[in-house]
Amino acid sequence: MQVNYMDKDESPQIPRRMTRSSASSSASTSNNVLAAKVNSFEPLTIDDLLVGGNATSLNDIISNFPGRSNQILEIVRLLGPLNSPMLPLFVYGGSSTGKTSIILQLFRHLNRPLVYSSCRTCYNQRILFESILNQLLLHRKDASNGYSNAKRCDRPSDFVNFLREALTNVVNNLKEKSRKFSNKMTHGGIGNMIYLVFDNFQLVREWDKSSTVLPLLFNLYDLLKMPEVGLIFISSTSPDTFYSNMGYVEPIPVYFTDYTECDIRQILLKNQVNQKLYSSFLDVALLPLCRITRQIGELSTSLKPLYEKYCEPLTDKGAVPNEDMKRRLFSHFKPHVASSLSETFKVSSLPSAEVETCKEKKWKGNPKRLQQSEEMGDLDFHMSTSAKYLLISAFLASRNPATLDASLFDSKGGSDNRKRKRKPSMKVMEQKESLEEELLMKGPGTFPLERLLAVFQCIVSVADEPSDEEEQNDDGLGIHGGNGGLVSDVLLQLSSLCNANLILKGRSCPIEGSTRYRATISEDLALKVARSLKFPLSKYLYRR
Amino acid sequence: MAPSSPSVADSLPPSTTPEVAENDLQPFFVLHKASSQIKDRTSEGQGKLRKRKELSSSPQSAKKPEGSMTEESDCHLFQQLQSKAFDIVWKKIESTIKDVLSDLNASVFNDIQQWVLECFNATRLLGEPTISEATRSLPVLNNATPGKLFTALVITRNIEFVDDIFTFEELGHFLESHGCHVAVISSTEFSLKNGIAGCLKALLREFLGSAIDSADISILASWHREQDNYNKPLVLIINDLERCCGSVLTDFILMLSEWVVKVPIILIFGVATTVDAPRNILPSHALEHLCPSRFMLRTPAKRMDAIIEAVLVKHCTMFNVGHKVALFLRNYFINQDGTVTSFIRALKVACLLHFSTEPLSLLHWRALAEGQKEGKSSLSPEAMLKYIDELPLDARRNQMVDHQTKKSMAEGLSELVTVQKLWSTAVLCLYEAGKYSRVQLLDLFCEALNQELHLVRDSECYAGDKKDRGLSSRNDPCQNYSIMQSRGLICQIVRKVRDLPTGMLHQLIESWGKLTADTSKIHEKLQMLQSSVKCEDGRSLRKSSKDSPKKHASRVSVNFDKDARMLNSQAIAFLDYLVRNFLRPIESMPFHEIFCFKNIEKLQLVLIGDPRRRIQVDLLDFHNILRCSCCNKNSNALLPSRHDSSIMYSLAQEHGDLINLHDWFQSFRTIVLQHTNKRKQKSKQSPQAKKRKNINGSADQNEASIQARFCRAVTELQITGLVRMPSKRRPDFAQRVAFGL
Repeated sequence: MQVNYMDKDESPQIPRRMTRSSASSSASTSNNVLAAKVNSFEPLTIDDLLVGGNATSLNDIISNFPGRSNQILEIVRLLGPLNSPMLPLFVYGGSSTGKTSIILQLFRHLNRPLVYSSCRTCYNQRILFESILNQLLLHRKDASNGYSNAKRCDRPSDFVNFLREALTNVVNNLKEKSRKFSNKMTHGGIGNMIYLVFDNFQLVREWDKSSTVLPLLFNLYDLLKMPEVGLIFISSTSPDTFYSNMGYVEPIPVYFTDYTECDIRQILLKNQVNQKLYSSFLDVALLPLCRITRQIGELSTSLKPLYEKYCEPLTDKGAVPNEDMKRRLFSHFKPHVASSLSETFKVSSLPSAEVETCKEKKWKGNPKRLQQSEEMGDLDFHMSTSAKYLLISAFLASRNPATLDASLFDSKGGSDNRKRKRKPSMKVMEQKESLEEELLMKGPGTFPLERLLAVFQCIVSVADEPSDEEEQNDDGLGIHGGNGGLVSDVLLQLSSLCNANLILKGRSCPIEGSTRYRATISEDLALKVARSLKFPLSKYLYRR
Repeated sequence: MAPSSPSVADSLPPSTTPEVAENDLQPFFVLHKASSQIKDRTSEGQGKLRKRKELSSSPQSAKKPEGSMTEESDCHLFQQLQSKAFDIVWKKIESTIKDVLSDLNASVFNDIQQWVLECFNATRLLGEPTISEATRSLPVLNNATPGKLFTALVITRNIEFVDDIFTFEELGHFLESHGCHVAVISSTEFSLKNGIAGCLKALLREFLGSAIDSADISILASWHREQDNYNKPLVLIINDLERCCGSVLTDFILMLSEWVVKVPIILIFGVATTVDAPRNILPSHALEHLCPSRFMLRTPAKRMDAIIEAVLVKHCTMFNVGHKVALFLRNYFINQDGTVTSFIRALKVACLLHFSTEPLSLLHWRALAEGQKEGKSSLSPEAMLKYIDELPLDARRNQMVDHQTKKSMAEGLSELVTVQKLWSTAVLCLYEAGKYSRVQLLDLFCEALNQELHLVRDSECYAGDKKDRGLSSRNDPCQNYSIMQSRGLICQIVRKVRDLPTGMLHQLIESWGKLTADTSKIHEKLQMLQSSVKCEDGRSLRKSSKDSPKKHASRVSVNFDKDARMLNSQAIAFLDYLVRNFLRPIESMPFHEIFCFKNIEKLQLVLIGDPRRRIQVDLLDFHNILRCSCCNKNSNALLPSRHDSSIMYSLAQEHGDLINLHDWFQSFRTIVLQHTNKRKQKSKQSPQAKKRKNINGSADQNEASIQARFCRAVTELQITGLVRMPSKRRPDFAQRVAFGL
């Protein structure tokens, strides 16, 4: 007998893209929805430990996971036929290589009960223990029991006792059931094995420095001594990264290799409406992206907007591309690839907002070039003037070597700087490039608070004079120009800059005064801020 | 005054009860406790009790020694009235500000709500897992794409966060009222210390409404499937993304994304800086699970303009500020703080100071109260007279002697109010025009209050008139208006109007029409302008219809150009008329003191604490505070009876930026031992051996205690931020951090 908990909304249409957790067969039945709904208010049964859903054949699974047939067959072999005991399994491989999906699909195929717990959701040992016990004891949290767990279990020793108790119970149940079934039917029993699956197992290492939980879980097989219990660990790191010299039975490793480019192509091509077009798109786009990442998840998120770009010139998306068209599409598409390589996070904004900004821009009536530059120059969030100065001084302190502060900020600092710049020969340029690279690798430097304040003082005193006059001349608002006042709340401003992540504060005792800071802003942002103050930033930037 | 400190943040919502509202003024006063000037302000801040104290020390009551009982009670009554007046006026201002801010946010909130609905429907389309599927720990296998968390990045555009706590609270209420389950979690929950358990606990507490011992997201899944919870979207608002601990947030997002099909949570992040912020905080494998959209809140400058417009230009109450105060507030906003919250706070302080220092300001309250009763403000001279008569004796003791004065004053006040009305209309018209050249109302407001500029304008106007007579045949008619010659924002605005294309000019004139609708004086003038616009419109229309299409282009453009110029100059004439006749700053009017707060020094003291300077002053002039008998004011000698840190700081004054610890200690020791030394010198004859026997123990003790006192004093100085402890490189030297006053 099989209970289907299928979704009534699951449509027979072909899913658009195939990714890690998606290997399910798309055919669905909705005849059991009612039963399931009724079932939800009844106590849980052993059947709820099954994965559920339609049984799939092994061949389906293999064809659904390109490049994974070896691993699938290996796991099936290790799991063995019905009711055969097994040694612990250790399934590992990089993220989004199909580990979890394949295990779950196989259990659906084999129709055997399992207790699944992800160590990400169960973020400490207590929750992991309680979650496993809840599942084994067929306990459901709801309002009536105050969302409490079946057992309160904090200590590993308690856990082992409870677990043994619960497991024997379940196994007895299973045995009884299979006896009944074997009378009625010849095939289709769920057997009397129960499997414990631990997903994201690598995270356990971080809990309490893995001193107790990790050995306990690896040792479960020996501790329980129950042949009816199978253990499966799924991890994204290899077994070597776990401390494993503890005298327990070594789990059998199954390694999921990274997908090859060809596999990736096949996976991405799955479930595409216009296979030909997508394939021609992949010809162009996949290679550069694959150099950066081979993770299906990342690839599919970055490919999606690219594909839309690619299809932009097409009116009919169902068209089968010929050579000429491919070439045209490519030339249209080419400039977008490079920019997308560095773009990991794309934010869409609502069309209405977009329109508004467009209007504003049109309204300015500038030619397009100018518009863009203006856009670049605008700082799109508000900072008080003194915070801006402080940010700039932090940026300078992070960028310039401390030894040059004196020469940069004394009265003739600017001219001194210019002298150095005068003759850029080839060699100097090369040197500069390599130094820039080095700077990029090293990142911004750190500085103590005193240096920041000194730079700030210099900058403010330099910048004040012209701006003061300006204000006096321009609008007569500068009576209480607040220039003296700029300095008054500096520490407050600094803390709010730190809060906004524009300046990083190193960790140390604040009373000691030895805290070091680091400006994390990019040069672009610093330039924008400087522009909004009309501050000549480049004059103070030390360039080698 | 810390805008980022949690205490200020907590007291942010303007809807706080009066008690709380008074309490949150506390920080200012604590800072200034030492200064004697401020003492009376402290008392004002603390309500009646302190006020009574102030009375006893104020010169007025000191003049009349032990005044009669009636007067005393009268004073008391007066105090009560003052605080009542402040309460009422401030409540009015506060509610106005609140309305303005929520109006500003309305459109964004609607957008967000729309987006939430769309997301909710999208998750519904993905498939609806059954209850047992949704509540167990297995991932759902039957959907095609791995779920993404719909995420809204609400850009607040201000690195200071205080203003937006209120905004996000409002957003939460708004979404709740539109049928969402809303949880608001602050960044403090995402700390490294509490880890993921902390934020899950907060999440469950917000959604389920009860504290749960072991926070587990499966509880949320169970809850979500109960009753009608399933039919509402779950919205989680995290109001300052930048301050969240990245690693905890990453874990949280990954965990939510594991459950996204079963518990579709919609995230709303408040982002202070740019949309790049999540990229800086989160690693790519967390970002991959987000499906972000962006929403922009209004900039603080826009909010500020809206508040200024509602409170100070449109005069929701008659409370106003003088030019210098306005300028100070503006500079404080732009240079120092940049939050609307602190601006409101400053306004509140100004209001409080005004009511407590200006006895006649009670009139204001009376007028407001009457106005509320009758639905409109009644500011006729008669009404004013009535209010003045009703004032308690104490208030009009000095000012009003006879009926004549009273009457003239009432008339003056009434006139002041009408002139103010015209002034605000003029400012609003200018602002409307200024919108084309991106002028901020805050700046314009400051300029409009500027008395000097007004005087300059007047004189220029006079000069301009003379000039006009001489050089009337100028080419550009616009140049004739004196308004063009003056400097500043107004001139900038007018220049922009001169070059405005016709379509926009029509728009502008239309909006002027709306603004001036209830001030007949200006409206009449505007109607003249409008009629001329209409007739010109008609003319050009006729012309263009008459003209054959071929000629049309060239001829009409010429005509059109001319007409447009005419129109522009007429618009400028209108603005000129406004500026010349109605833009009279309130400070140039008689009796403005009653409604207008001008005392910038006091406000400055209250707002910019400058605590470090204060500490230094107090350490050096400790006598002003302690008023002890042993030290007299004049002598600069360091007496051992002084407080240790005070001695130490005075000694430190003699050093440069490095203080030799040994020298410092020695001089400290000498001062402390001064007294005992004197005594010792008397008994110096006593032989060494004897001393060793008797005093040795106590001397050691003495030495140790001096050392201890020294250390404590240095630590105190260090904590107050005046001195830095010796570094490893220079173990013998402490470093002075603060110099000068």
